[in-house]
Amino acid sequence: MQEQKKIRVAVIGLGKLGILHTAVVNMIPQAELAAIADINKQLSTYVQQSGLRAPFFSDTDQMLAEVKPDAAVICTPAFANLSVAEPCLVRDMDLFLEKPLAHTFDAAKKLTRLVSGRKTVHATGYLFAHMSLYKKAKSLLAEGLLGRLYRVRSSVYTSEVFGKKKGWYYDAEKSGGGAVINIASHLLYVLYWYFGTAKSVFAQTRHIYSDVEDAATALLEFADGLQVVMDVSWSVPAYRLPYTEIHVEGDNGTMELTNDYLKLYLYKAHRGYPKEWTTIHKIDLPSGSRFEIGAEGLYEEDQDFISCCLDRKNPAVTWNDGFEVQRMIEAIYRSAAQRKAISIGEIQ
Amino acid sequence: MTVKLDRLILGANPFEGVSYISRSQSVHYLEYFAKDENVVAVLDAAYNAGVRAVTCSNTANVMAAFQKFPRTKDLAIYPVIPNAYEYAMEASEKGVLGAVLSKARGFSIYQKVKLGLRAIAKIKSVLTKDVMDLLLELLNFEMTSFEKLNLGGVILHGQITDLALSSHNPDILSIFQDVIRESYDLEPILATHNFGLLLPQLIEWKIKIPIMAPLNSKGFMMKPSKEECEKFVQEAGYQIIAKKVLASGRLTPEEAFSYLLDKKIDAVVVGVGSVSEAYHTFAAAKNILKI
Repeated sequence: MQEQKKIRVAVIGLGKLGILHTAVVNMIPQAELAAIADINKQLSTYVQQSGLRAPFFSDTDQMLAEVKPDAAVICTPAFANLSVAEPCLVRDMDLFLEKPLAHTFDAAKKLTRLVSGRKTVHATGYLFAHMSLYKKAKSLLAEGLLGRLYRVRSSVYTSEVFGKKKGWYYDAEKSGGGAVINIASHLLYVLYWYFGTAKSVFAQTRHIYSDVEDAATALLEFADGLQVVMDVSWSVPAYRLPYTEIHVEGDNGTMELTNDYLKLYLYKAHRGYPKEWTTIHKIDLPSGSRFEIGAEGLYEEDQDFISCCLDRKNPAVTWNDGFEVQRMIEAIYRSAAQRKAISIGEIQ
Repeated sequence: MTVKLDRLILGANPFEGVSYISRSQSVHYLEYFAKDENVVAVLDAAYNAGVRAVTCSNTANVMAAFQKFPRTKDLAIYPVIPNAYEYAMEASEKGVLGAVLSKARGFSIYQKVKLGLRAIAKIKSVLTKDVMDLLLELLNFEMTSFEKLNLGGVILHGQITDLALSSHNPDILSIFQDVIRESYDLEPILATHNFGLLLPQLIEWKIKIPIMAPLNSKGFMMKPSKEECEKFVQEAGYQIIAKKVLASGRLTPEEAFSYLLDKKIDAVVVGVGSVSEAYHTFAAAKNILKI
């Protein structure tokens, strides 16, 4: 029997997410971990001693030349994404890029142009697209369970920053921003996934401890006048992990969507969902993951990318999707800086 | 070799504010168990219900409760190390290696003396030396939190076990096994969220130590599938400590323990969020599982 083709994958960038993606790629039967690259040479010891058999390179160009991988999972700091992705694309590699697409809107635009018209498989790491509860909510909204939608309240909070912190993550030149681009970008992706690209944004950001924003509030308008409030902070106590809530209001009821459950209140029964209350717990939904580490959805995310590399299909979240999220992020930052509403049409 | 394990073990997830059901429950746990006397009250209820073992990380509230609870000396403690959550929280600022180093640099003089000069030299020169050795020193460091307690075994955190599993290399697990046996004369135990993948690998590597893994009728956290996990539980001949048995509260204790009744398991870990829950849950466990 002919052996199934495997996608030879390089993981570039060995921070927290790089380590997790390395683990997941190594557990996907259709993938072969071909190389690991990080500019920190000392991490070669980690790679050797953690038992990984893939070669380690501190020079990405050397790795690309010697290993010639089919695909790369890029987990570098956001400011490095463009410079790391470019040589990979020259070699016609398929690329998974951890979110956000880039640290600036211009860099994101360049990345998206680089793949425009090419057959490259390009994916972005907006994990919620692979979480069972969020997929369920998407399907319920798409089938019109709530009727015409008119208002959404959403938030994401975590307890991470309670003083001045160091590192690229808190340096606007390198990260592109703070809580909005790093934490709320996941929530903005979900809003884009569910409701499309916003039409206009009015936002305020707040610096409490950091040079980048620690909190922000945005009012976004989507198609058909849908009003969406988005609130984010990484400086709220008692959130062990980032916690997301989305409350959707429509003319047939409401949906409360959180990390843990989806709660419906319907004015009229709809396609098997009764009038008034229904609660669906994440635990009760089937999981598509055969291996779990770090976060729900990570295996599905990498599996989706690998499958699309094999089948030459578009993954669930492409760079074009990542770019649309980046437009909303840019609009939030411009609005906060200019203290006025920004039309997304201005962000080109 | 069969390791002697306590059959009923109190879990510490609620003490650490962990809930997979809702934010409000997590907040309730965080607030309620921030007072270590509330941890003591649950320890006391569990003790009265016949529980003589606890598994936990070295979180401050639990360690303080152990000091206050008058019957701590009668409990077998199963530490879960390393405290992966702490490292993960620091990793976004410092990187993963940076988080580990930061922990090492935070050792007090007393801790440094305890670790010995050899370890200090290693920590100072870690960037050019042996990372594995440093990690071992950190394991030793975390074990110092538990040194005055009566230990029943030492559990490797599931994230570390599963990272080791993903490397397809037995070294980390073998070293953990050897260190816990040789340095502490205790039994090593592996926690995992990927039981059905870990087990065949352990068999291939000829590593046979107890495993703590999710087991519940919902299939919650049973990877790669509920069916494969159940098959290995019944057929592999490994000692199993079942966890997540209540599927984070989606199952009643009666449902959960009835499901476990015909499973080949050696022990059950259950976390409880209140005194009344402790009495109800452990009475059901003893009644149904005949413990």
